[in-house]
Amino acid sequence: MSVSGIEAMGFTPYVAPQVPVAPSGAGATGATGAAGAAAGVQGSSFGDLVLDGLDRLEGVQDRSDQLAVKAATGDLQNLHDYTIAATEATVTTQMTVAVRNKAVEAFTEIMRMQV
Amino acid sequence: MGAFDLLGIAGSSLGMHQTWLDSLANNIANVNTVVSTDQNAFQAQMVSAAPRPGGGVDVAGIALSDAAGMVVHDPDHPLADADGNVRAPAVDMSSQMSQLIMAQRGYQASVQITKYAQETYSSALSIGGR
Repeated sequence: MSVSGIEAMGFTPYVAPQVPVAPSGAGATGATGAAGAAAGVQGSSFGDLVLDGLDRLEGVQDRSDQLAVKAATGDLQNLHDYTIAATEATVTTQMTVAVRNKAVEAFTEIMRMQV
Repeated sequence: MGAFDLLGIAGSSLGMHQTWLDSLANNIANVNTVVSTDQNAFQAQMVSAAPRPGGGVDVAGIALSDAAGMVVHDPDHPLADADGNVRAPAVDMSSQMSQLIMAQRGYQASVQITKYAQETYSSALSIGGR
């Protein structure tokens, strides 16, 4: 049983979010256990979200890079294909950085919390 | 529906207008291409557009104008037949130039949409910022 609620914030080791949602224990954990499980699920989904976003960012940047090479070698059929892919890559990068900044902001906010 | 639909739709419009501009350039380039009367005249390309189901526009097809063209009397032309006639393409230069302006304006409008799209997405990222 956790002493403090800090685990609920997702600061547990990475394996912790993979604990089954419903422990169906003897009821000893009570409210803390339920909160931890719920937070664990949320932390996992946020991590997946970030990883998913990073994957997508990589794909978009790869596509933009390929089109840039095509533009340089003269194989590009339509100029706007590259510029649109580059715009997409720019915005996706900005979005990923914004998500990362939000996460760090939340982390520092919690670390600053007086217990 | 994805996060970058605006860019995708603008991209499809850019593609369609690009095709239109290409075919107009081809028509204007061949406006003076005359052939002998026993051959088909240059056929002007006419792009027809169709809406894309998910949003955007596609080139539905490229129709060709009449192969008969116009028979012009030009006895000095090396391709002239016994009657002194050659076959010129039935391309109306003023119509082509008007369409060129329309296609160019459409292309520019689509470029403007991509600019607005980037601005819009960037402003969405500033929500909750300090």
